[in-house]
Amino acid sequence: MIGFLFRGLLRDKSRFLFPFSVVTIGVALVVALVGFMEGVFMGMIDMTANLDSGHLRLVNKAFYDEEHLRPLDRSLASQQETRDWLTKHSAPDVDWSPRIRWGAILDVPDEQGETRSQTPVVGMAMDLQSPDSKEVQRLRLKSSVVEGSLPDKFNEMLMGIQLAEVLEVSVGQTVTLMGQSFDGGLVADNYQVVGLVRFGVTAMDKKMVLIDLASAQNTFYMEDMVTDWLGYFPPSADFDRYEEVKASMNTALVDWMQSPPKDWAKDDFPIVLSIRDHLNIGAIMDKFMTIKGFVVGIFTFLMILVLWNAGILSGIHRYGEMGLRLAFGEPHWKLVMTLAIEGVLIGNLGSLAGSLFGGAFAWTLQEVGLNMGDSFAQTGLMVNDVVRARVTLGGFIQGIVPGIFASVAGTLVASMAIFQRSEANLFRELEAG
Amino acid sequence: MSETLITLERVSKVYQVGEENFTALNGVSLEVGKGAFMSFVGPSGSGKTTLLNLIGGLDRPTSGSVLFQGANLENMSREQLAAYRRDNIGFIFQTYNLLPVYSVYENVLFPLILNGLKESQVRERVENMVVKVGLKDQINKKPAQLSGGQCQRVAIARALVKDPLLILADEPTANLDSENSYQVLELMRELNHEYKAAVIFSTHDEKVTRYIRREVRLEDGKVSWDKHRNGSEIET
Repeated sequence: MIGFLFRGLLRDKSRFLFPFSVVTIGVALVVALVGFMEGVFMGMIDMTANLDSGHLRLVNKAFYDEEHLRPLDRSLASQQETRDWLTKHSAPDVDWSPRIRWGAILDVPDEQGETRSQTPVVGMAMDLQSPDSKEVQRLRLKSSVVEGSLPDKFNEMLMGIQLAEVLEVSVGQTVTLMGQSFDGGLVADNYQVVGLVRFGVTAMDKKMVLIDLASAQNTFYMEDMVTDWLGYFPPSADFDRYEEVKASMNTALVDWMQSPPKDWAKDDFPIVLSIRDHLNIGAIMDKFMTIKGFVVGIFTFLMILVLWNAGILSGIHRYGEMGLRLAFGEPHWKLVMTLAIEGVLIGNLGSLAGSLFGGAFAWTLQEVGLNMGDSFAQTGLMVNDVVRARVTLGGFIQGIVPGIFASVAGTLVASMAIFQRSEANLFRELEAG
Repeated sequence: MSETLITLERVSKVYQVGEENFTALNGVSLEVGKGAFMSFVGPSGSGKTTLLNLIGGLDRPTSGSVLFQGANLENMSREQLAAYRRDNIGFIFQTYNLLPVYSVYENVLFPLILNGLKESQVRERVENMVVKVGLKDQINKKPAQLSGGQCQRVAIARALVKDPLLILADEPTANLDSENSYQVLELMRELNHEYKAAVIFSTHDEKVTRYIRREVRLEDGKVSWDKHRNGSEIET
């Protein structure tokens, strides 16, 4: 029966092409839009995590409360002991990296050694030289260095390309960092700029300086100390896991604080944060999910509306067929069921076609990207200048499920008239032709 | 008289039209035997189509009973009435009501598919029926490619293919010219003889009355005469 009806459905372009086109367009738009939204949002999340926050972060609460001041005196000591604890009490797939967030005055001298230009910079120190460190790979530094090379010696520095342009600094030049040491003293140390980096994030390219962790510990008198431990999940990990691991670690921290590392200060009390806690990202994530749901919901609703009307038009177009089938003894419910199955078939075919079109668009945007650096230049957002979509299974599901649902729902709403159709009038209706 | 297929006992049907009651049938009683070839004749509004509706299980009487082989249709649920039509009744309409996207073969196949049969099981039966109505060369054509007479032949094949006990034909020749009307009626008479399905026409067409074996005339919802070709006539 279904095969027979489907044969007719495919031949009758007026009742197949329109709903098929509606579902195809709707699903394609949802898949492309969700792919684009997820690409932009997840790009921002990834970039923020890689450069700044990690997916998880262990930090001394006192540092966290005043981190805009970069209070290095509230750093955490005992690197190895801390790493061991983190490895044991987080999750096996989390990779932990030590970082130092620092701030200093960067002085650029002229040929005579006099100050030519000077600017405050924010910097990050990370392990750039250990063979088992994943930081270089995580920040894609090898491909981001547009001139020069990565640091491989003490007191070498990577500088954001736009910052270097403003300060007229070139590779090989020596600059001086002047800041505050761990114990509150004034420090000044020379660094050689060995590479200029294009992070692809305007905010970073204009302000950021990277140095090796060991150099920073030496410059700021922070032997065996870091300000942050950043934890990274693999890309496949769900957001929910961030919160689960964070909660279990915070519970375990209470026990740890009963016998903390002996080099910690008495008032050191680390906390574990997730990326949701960073720069209000949690609220942004929630809003993003709401907006995404809203977008998918609107498209689904519109598809249902259009398909409902398509179903009514089809019902009018097939008025004789429906009457005939009722007269020939097909029960109302079976008639509606076959229409629903037709809806499922159209929904499936339309969703498949829509997924191909929408997926192809999203994939192209994922591979090629869209450069929006000019728009982001003044925002300070940690967003990659090249916006890319992200093709995910979830994106397809969010397009396909509403596509099929809308097709069936539209058909069912339209076919309510069949239940109201009385057999007693069939002769008259069918005679009317 | 042959074995009774349909029995109507004092059947009345009253429709409410606005605030008025319209009596379409008023105490009609008659019997239809198996293999009958008969017609309901009468002017518009005399109750012909209402009678077909009641016999076909498409409507229920206001009073009285319609019995099919002794079973009272009144006692059947909507689902059972659908099954009754599916299993026992073939329909032929004035405007053919063929499905335009399907071929002649598929239109004839359609009621068998509705009855839950698989195409592979009934292909030969359908093809034979198409040959029987003289449309062998048109078997793969769509209704739009056929003449009115050919379309009505397809409708006849479609009604007969499931081997029903009763065929209800509402004005089957109304849209046909004389020559096609005669051909269709001749065909129906032959098939009635061969398949033994009772055929009830509802018609104004006098050509039909030359072919049928029994004529029931309706006037104002009542049987005014019931005339058998074997000479017996009941005038009421």
